[in-house]
Amino acid sequence: MKKKNQIFTYFWLFPGVGYIIFFLSITIVMMVLQSFGFFSLTAASQFSFKYWQYLFDRQFLDCFLFSLKIGLVSTFGALIFSYPLALLMRKSFIWKKTFGSILKIPLFVPAVVGAFLIINLMAYHGILNEVLLKLGLIKEPLRMLYNKWGINIIVIQIWKNIPFQLLIISSVVETIRTDIEEAARNLGANSFAVVRYIMFPLSIPGILAAVIIVFIFAFGDYVITKVAGPTYPTTLSVQMQTISMMFMEWNKAACIGVIIMVTSALSAAFFAKLAKIIQGIK
Amino acid sequence: MEKELVINQRIEWKRKQTFRNFLIFLLIALVIICIGVPLFMALLWSLVNPDYPWSYPQSFPSHISLAQWKYVFKYTNIVRAIVTSFSIAPIAAVLSIFLSLPSAYALGRIRFPSREFFKIIILLPIILPGIVVALFLSRTLDFIGLSQNFFGLVLGHTLMCIPYMLRILTTSFEGIPQEVIDAAGNLGATPFVKFKEIYIPLIKLGLFAGAILAFITSIEEFNLTFVIGTPTFETIPTILFSFLGYNFIRTNAAVISIILMIPNITLLFIVERFLKTGYLSAVLGKG
Repeated sequence: MKKKNQIFTYFWLFPGVGYIIFFLSITIVMMVLQSFGFFSLTAASQFSFKYWQYLFDRQFLDCFLFSLKIGLVSTFGALIFSYPLALLMRKSFIWKKTFGSILKIPLFVPAVVGAFLIINLMAYHGILNEVLLKLGLIKEPLRMLYNKWGINIIVIQIWKNIPFQLLIISSVVETIRTDIEEAARNLGANSFAVVRYIMFPLSIPGILAAVIIVFIFAFGDYVITKVAGPTYPTTLSVQMQTISMMFMEWNKAACIGVIIMVTSALSAAFFAKLAKIIQGIK
Repeated sequence: MEKELVINQRIEWKRKQTFRNFLIFLLIALVIICIGVPLFMALLWSLVNPDYPWSYPQSFPSHISLAQWKYVFKYTNIVRAIVTSFSIAPIAAVLSIFLSLPSAYALGRIRFPSREFFKIIILLPIILPGIVVALFLSRTLDFIGLSQNFFGLVLGHTLMCIPYMLRILTTSFEGIPQEVIDAAGNLGATPFVKFKEIYIPLIKLGLFAGAILAFITSIEEFNLTFVIGTPTFETIPTILFSFLGYNFIRTNAAVISIILMIPNITLLFIVERFLKTGYLSAVLGKG
């Protein structure tokens, strides 16, 4: 009887969950097979390690480090804004609901549009430069677009991902009971102490999820870097797309794809470990 | 003496409170500027009159006109792209409703050992790097003749919509109290009656939120359309992308980004207006 129920459950799961599992697994299997030389368009389709040699290429290394930098800086840059906002959204103030809706706008703006919006602001004669000039902070406009440090990519990523992190962190922060906070205040804790010893440790699970997801987004980003970033170095995703669709070297591109996926998975494990360590310190 | 102390404390407390309110106000203003200014600039750029270009020393364009809008609608593929975008999105949303309903029922109502595992698995299409999935899904579709194909595009978009729909519907199904279902069963309701009279009315809001999120996801989807569809099919995001590439025309790009943002932001405010908060945390939350 129990076994029959089990089969019945999987029957229900089949349409939705099965769809996802089916398409993702054929995608991943195709990628891994191509990285080992199968399904080749240009050469004979056979098992070989030769495409993996690309990993020792200078170009690959540059792009890998660039992606890593964009990923880390964007993730923690967004966290600086989203965590205080998540704490703020716990309090009640006037127009909170409208404010919350406005905050979600970047989440509903497609990445291409987001990139364009920020390019407008950061252009040579854009409003950001104008304001800085008027304030007398700089003597001449800064060149912020397409620069090799990827400053504007990071700004776009932060702009786009703050609401995302905010939502994930809020869903955890809102479950923290207010009486713990009040108890600490009664015992004489100031605002800083409350955040440091109560709110922060309890919101680590949310922060962890937010950090992992946004890191994977920024690390594997294609469209923002393609539109606003420098031509070289660029993120691994842009490099992979160029190699596959322009040079038709799909097997090499598949190696990059595997590396992107593996790095994403490893980074998730790494951040989870880091969160454990931080929780241990208290 | 004591009274004075109390008064002093109260003044101190009030000053702290005012300072706190001031900080909150400052933060809110900052956020609104950071989100509002980019949108406003795009709107201005889309209204620049091409005969009086908006160049460096002017802080605002000197002449406002709709000429750019007319130009974009007349000389670019935007109309066809709008049609493509708005025909894929509803199909993908409806398909994902039908595919997700049974699975969400199982995830929300049946207790089985691997349930939490599946709840994480269904988030993968959102989390995995979009361009990697798009590229190698397109290879597979290529082998079965579905790349550069409308049906292939719909399949891909559906893959991206299902996670939102599934997570929201799962939370909706979880929220139905078991007593209601048991009561209906005791009164002799058949599974079909239960479905029609209990499940559907109680998950209606979830269905609504899920459909809107799925629709927005499909409208926004860039990577899949770009890899599987171009050059045969263009959607609004891919047209915008081409305007941001080597033929970078700021005013045209501004018009298209406004076209792209209007439905999404409207739908956002509709969802916010009609639903309690938490529909998005239902998707992204861990539980």
